[in-house]
Amino acid sequence: MKRRTPSRPAETPSTASSDVNVLTVSEVTRRVRRALESAFPGRVLVTGEISNFKIHASGHSYFTLKDSGSEIACVMWRSAVASLRFRPADGQEVIVAGSIEVFEKSGRYQLYAQQIDPRGVGALEMALRQLREKLEKEGLFSPARKRPLPRFPKRIGIITSPTGAAIRDMLLTLERRYPCVDVLVLPVRVQGDGAASEIADAVRKINAATSALGGIDLLIVGRGGGSTEDLCAFNEEVLVRAIAASTVPVISAVGHETDFTLADLAADVRAATPTAAAELAVPVRLETLDGLSLTQRRLTIGVQRRVDLDRRTFSHLARRAPFREPEHLIRRREQRLDTWLADVLRALNARFHDRRRRLQRTEQLLSRIAPDASVAAGTRRLHERLARLHLAMTGRLLRIARNLDQRAARLQRGAPAGRIPRLSELLNDARRRVALALHQGLDARRRRLEAAEQLLNALSYRSVLQRGYSITRLKKGGTLVRDAARLSDGDRLVTEFAEGEVESRVVNARQRELFET
Amino acid sequence: MNPKPTFEEALQRLEAIAEQIERGQIGLEESIARYEEGVQLIRHCRDVLARAELRVQQLQIDDQGKVESRPFPVAAPPTAGDAPPR
Repeated sequence: MKRRTPSRPAETPSTASSDVNVLTVSEVTRRVRRALESAFPGRVLVTGEISNFKIHASGHSYFTLKDSGSEIACVMWRSAVASLRFRPADGQEVIVAGSIEVFEKSGRYQLYAQQIDPRGVGALEMALRQLREKLEKEGLFSPARKRPLPRFPKRIGIITSPTGAAIRDMLLTLERRYPCVDVLVLPVRVQGDGAASEIADAVRKINAATSALGGIDLLIVGRGGGSTEDLCAFNEEVLVRAIAASTVPVISAVGHETDFTLADLAADVRAATPTAAAELAVPVRLETLDGLSLTQRRLTIGVQRRVDLDRRTFSHLARRAPFREPEHLIRRREQRLDTWLADVLRALNARFHDRRRRLQRTEQLLSRIAPDASVAAGTRRLHERLARLHLAMTGRLLRIARNLDQRAARLQRGAPAGRIPRLSELLNDARRRVALALHQGLDARRRRLEAAEQLLNALSYRSVLQRGYSITRLKKGGTLVRDAARLSDGDRLVTEFAEGEVESRVVNARQRELFET
Repeated sequence: MNPKPTFEEALQRLEAIAEQIERGQIGLEESIARYEEGVQLIRHCRDVLARAELRVQQLQIDDQGKVESRPFPVAAPPTAGDAPPR
């Protein structure tokens, strides 16, 4: 601290003032830093040979840049390392872009590399890089812009040279894989002055003509391999923009696997080669046909399973009682029919017997009050008619029963399980119709019988009146008067004679003798 | 349903139908109706795939957008004019 600078002793007489010229290490370093920063403001480009290139676990890279006379320590941060487009190696002549800065802690100056390029790329490469950065910033290469390719294109546009290996490779590949596609070739020059504009123009024109051409599903833009200079049309802004603006999805296919152009970056999909582009563009026809066969099998198996399932459900149902034994079902119906027929017959018989009894009673009464031959003949006829009617009805019922039996037998013979519900309905229907016919027949006959009976009754008592008898009824209710004791004073009577009738009133009910016969 | 579906639409519809039928959640009659639709679609797709010869046209589009086309030979031999491979 107290040492003086020997070169200028006179100008620093006091310790305090001499201390002004004594610098701390930190001050020196700071001054060096300031001096360096003003000597190398901002970005510098340094050329040299790489040595000791290392990437640490942290991802940062450390290396030395040297030439025959000197060397400089270099640092490249992880983020910059990640954006390297090639792999730096010892011995490579490169140009490093970065800043010269002082690392104060160790007092060392270093080159902080932001970018490393192999030497000899020249201004063209630089310009390309600048264009790439510009378009990248505009988002032209953004993955979000990429569209999926149609899986089964109908029509493909190819923009390339009509005479190169590229078009031949693409067409052969398309024909081999998927010949059912339509191809439209738009011939262009793919290298030389104006090639980029011509290709860009073609991209725009085919986009504009899409609907006139019946729709285009996909464009392939490209060419075969060539030198970097040959491929440079595909790095020109006009073409890159045209590809990015295409409404039809674009596959780029420029050169070989190792060639990367800006057109590749702008395209929806980059193909390594023209052949690869054709492979990306279409599926394989035979595989697609196989897929269809598989789908058809799936459909058939699916429906078959559905049918089996329903059949199982059906046979499960069919096993249940009514369906399992259709004969049983029919027999039960038959039994019911038999019972019902018996019921009808019984009712019919009962009705006939009832009629016959009533007829016999009337006959007895008539023969008692008027043993008239004509009445006897009438009742006899009535008896005969009743007997005939009985016979006819019974016969008819038996015929119906026989008919039903035959029908049931027929049903039983030809009755598969599925027809049972319909057959039983048929039986029901037959039964309904039989019942209706029987009922109507019985009704008509009963009406005729009753009419005959009434007529007979009327005739029989009228014949008694002809012989001088009369009949007296109560006016109210029309009850026959058989006993004078049941009459009261004031009761109105109607007396019927053979010809006409007369109305009278009871004046002395106690004089019973008057009415006794 | 669209009477003339694109190939891709037809395949999508087919896949949907196959899934419907396989899941068995539709009834027999519906299954059979879907099956018939599926078979129609498969026939349509097979028709599309039936062509075994690539059709290639060469286009000429002028500045007014007018299109002219003529057949382009598929197996055109490579001729001079294209850059030689590197």
